[in-house]
Amino acid sequence: MKKITLLLFTLTALGLVSSASAAATKNLNIYCWSEYIPQPIIDQFAKETGVKVTVENYASNEEMLSKLAAGGGEYDIIQPSEYVIEALVKEKVLHSIDHSKIPNLKNIEPQFLNMPFDPGNKFSVPFMAGTVGIVVNTDLVKDEIKGFSDVFKPANKGKIVVLDDAREIVSWALLSKGINVNQVTEKNLQKIKPLLEQWLPLVKVYDSDSPKTALLNGDVSLGVVWGGEGAILLNKNKKFRWVIPSEGTHLFIDSLAIPKTAKNVDNAEAFINFILRPEISKQISEEFPYLNPNLAARELMTKKQLENPASFPSEEEMKKMQIFKDIGTKGSDVEELITTLKAQ
Amino acid sequence: MWKSSSPRSKHNSMPGFLGSGSGVPRKGRHHRDPGLWAWIVLSPLILWLLLFVIAPTAMLTLVSFAERDSLGRILWNFSLQNYARAFDWVWLKILLDSLFYAFLTTVICLALGYPAAYFIARAPERWRGILLMLVMVPFWTSFLIRTYAWISILSKEGLLNSLLISAGIFKEPVSLLYSPFAIVLGLVYNFLPFMILPIYTSVEKLDNAMVEAAYDLGAGPLRAFSQVIIPLTRPGIAAGVMLVFVPSIAMFAITTLMGGGTNPTIGEVIFKQFTAGRNQPFGAALGTILLFVFILTFWLARSQRERED
Repeated sequence: MKKITLLLFTLTALGLVSSASAAATKNLNIYCWSEYIPQPIIDQFAKETGVKVTVENYASNEEMLSKLAAGGGEYDIIQPSEYVIEALVKEKVLHSIDHSKIPNLKNIEPQFLNMPFDPGNKFSVPFMAGTVGIVVNTDLVKDEIKGFSDVFKPANKGKIVVLDDAREIVSWALLSKGINVNQVTEKNLQKIKPLLEQWLPLVKVYDSDSPKTALLNGDVSLGVVWGGEGAILLNKNKKFRWVIPSEGTHLFIDSLAIPKTAKNVDNAEAFINFILRPEISKQISEEFPYLNPNLAARELMTKKQLENPASFPSEEEMKKMQIFKDIGTKGSDVEELITTLKAQ
Repeated sequence: MWKSSSPRSKHNSMPGFLGSGSGVPRKGRHHRDPGLWAWIVLSPLILWLLLFVIAPTAMLTLVSFAERDSLGRILWNFSLQNYARAFDWVWLKILLDSLFYAFLTTVICLALGYPAAYFIARAPERWRGILLMLVMVPFWTSFLIRTYAWISILSKEGLLNSLLISAGIFKEPVSLLYSPFAIVLGLVYNFLPFMILPIYTSVEKLDNAMVEAAYDLGAGPLRAFSQVIIPLTRPGIAAGVMLVFVPSIAMFAITTLMGGGTNPTIGEVIFKQFTAGRNQPFGAALGTILLFVFILTFWLARSQRERED
């Protein structure tokens, strides 16, 4: 009896040792946005490479940032937006990416490479891009909507859903006053405050996670939402129309990056290269119809997908778009301004 | 919370431990040291309290006096600026709003929960289990799923509106969702069982002879209820009120989803300072203030009860 126990014990111990040594080379810890990388794609990568993939999700850049800054979790892949990459590069917490391991980088449209937040793409590779625009339910709104000033009118009180994102809301007001979205200074915040005082009482719903719900349910008839959400609405019903605000708007680029604390850099680079494969990237676009920066993937996409104006803005519209820069500690002030106005 | 609602005699059953004064062991003939054994038995509980209550609270309080850098990392410079900022009218107004919602939720839960609990506890024994089960069953699914279910019921093209229109009660769909009404509805729905269960326990223990005695002595139903039944079930009411009031102050998921985020609550504001605001110290300061509100509520409820005893 004792012998059997001993035997079992040794076997378990051996098993633990072998799985521990495998863990050093065959693991990949991904920390990504919720609802952004479809599960089948993760499964396919795991199957092809034999790597054990664990995925954790976050709902905002800042959530990821605070976990990373606190030193929690040993992630191999993170998925920050442009202004967060800028901050992470500045703080030197990203691992440089070996371009020879990522041949599929050639698939990315040059327009999305070599951006000011990461010159030469030393630390990041674009995953998806997108924009913020206006969705109009044309059954209920007959007026012509061209920009933010047409949305935020007293006549539309109680009919509007906007992103629950203080920085976004502030950027729309800045654009309306002709100020660059990154000029978030005390003076400029004071300048836009009266405008926001008129705007915010008109809003019915603040929702960043799924603003399409309120539009689909008919609770609101106008929305300022993410391009991907807009694209889904346009696919669902012809009554929805997509408008890029005449004042200009925000272009975001969500990228893949490797933190310096990563334990499995090789697997991370293999994963990035895998994501940039045309057929994989196309699959992501099918589920989350954002602006796909992958030219080879776009060749595989249907005409209907490519012609969705909420996914793919025209060149003309792209010119009016601005990219967010990191505003550091000003974020808390922006948050306070919006909260103050909401509470009134 | 539960401990305070239990009969006083239980407190004294463990002398020297829960420190209720009269039970303090005196030196002398009957001195028996309960210490070691009691500590061993209670050590898991104490460890749990230390790890998950004392330590996080201490950390929260510490962080509330700190500063942060541009990435949101905490800088350990002692500062009072977070509190100076927190005592601004904006945040106090949001706190008062949240307290008001919580108060309203508690009153409605009490009004609905008391009769329900009373009815269940007085039902024939074989029915009680089933009825209690019916109270619990919905809570086996995630509260987020139940909240989303309410969204599809209350929305403009939702179940309730189409029902009311086809019944001819409304001519046009009415906006029920994304309003203070929806917030309170969501809170009441989610916290009602926390009112029913403790009251049920109290009513079940209620000695029927007392009620009968009240009737025999000439009390009408109203008087028997207000002067005999209510005081006897007070521990259950007190526990229920605390269990509903305290968590509904800080609840933010329901208020954001069903209220549409137009009436920010204190829980939501703290959440945002920790995330998008990248300002954990300020969020921690607001959290610490909220903690004091909880302690104050608890203390008030307790001293009120002691005065009545």
